[in-house]
Amino acid sequence: MDFQGILDRLVAIRAPGLVKADEPRKPDPKDKKDKGRAGDPFVIVEPALLASFVEACRDDDRLHFEQLVDLTATDPSKDSADLWINVQLLSLKFRHRLAIKALLPKSAAKLPSLVPVYRASQWHERECAEMFGIVFEGHPDPRNILLPDDWVGSPLRKDYEFPKEYHGISCE
Amino acid sequence: MLSLQNQFEENVLTTRVDWLINWARLSSIWPMTFGLACCAIEMMAVGAAHHDIDRFGAGAFRASPRQADLMIVAGTVNFKMAERVKKLYDQMPSPKYVIAMGACATGGGPYYKYGYTVVKGVDRVIPVDVYIAGCPPRPEALLEGLMKLQEKIRASSVVRKPARLA
Repeated sequence: MDFQGILDRLVAIRAPGLVKADEPRKPDPKDKKDKGRAGDPFVIVEPALLASFVEACRDDDRLHFEQLVDLTATDPSKDSADLWINVQLLSLKFRHRLAIKALLPKSAAKLPSLVPVYRASQWHERECAEMFGIVFEGHPDPRNILLPDDWVGSPLRKDYEFPKEYHGISCE
Repeated sequence: MLSLQNQFEENVLTTRVDWLINWARLSSIWPMTFGLACCAIEMMAVGAAHHDIDRFGAGAFRASPRQADLMIVAGTVNFKMAERVKKLYDQMPSPKYVIAMGACATGGGPYYKYGYTVVKGVDRVIPVDVYIAGCPPRPEALLEGLMKLQEKIRASSVVRKPARLA
């Protein structure tokens, strides 16, 4: 199925939390400031309903997304009020993919864990949690995965300040 | 005092203790099996047939720090690893030597500015004998570093030097 087909199916099954679709477009030739949008089409989803949304995608017979390929986050800029959660799903049976994004406010970076739906998201969520300071509610093992256990701060946030020293090792 | 010269048959050699011990040490620098990043790939190439670190007596990569003389820090050291590196170094028996291989181990390398968990040089954690430049260094460069270390060992002395007169 192509993106339009997947989108139609998502609307037909009333996938919970679906906000809108965002597709790449060419720049408007009349408007010189318009740069268009490159990249892949994706759907935008409510973060609170992301887990139920991917569950619907997994369980539907026509969509059949049995694999979670990736789960990451993005901090677009210092001024941005939101973080992006990026999820990639893959259907091995139908050979189609879906990119999902959820806008998560930095002031309340919390959302339900996807682990009950896809167990593959465990490590991805742990990395997102330590790098961006996102809380995945209901995660079975919410420890740091890459950073030391006593690390302070979220390194991939754009407003992150580097440590001056760690356990007596200078970082200057 | 009786001279030892010409007192024995031809099957006895006389030498200096320093020379003998240094010769033994520099001819069998056993490194530790220990790679951290891409530099370790070059280190493995040095261990393999083409470059053959065994020519210098340093081909016996030991799987335990207790049997090793040389720690080749081959790769990026981050804070989490730095504590382990220190622990491994402490477990090695003296005399022990450290080669900082490549830009990362020498001074943080490409992660110097934005590497939030990278130690900016392994010499902030353990003392280093030889630094090797490169990212990663060629296998020949590591061999050069090993030869530099051998020169350093050759110049050392097991005999305590008499205190210098003020």
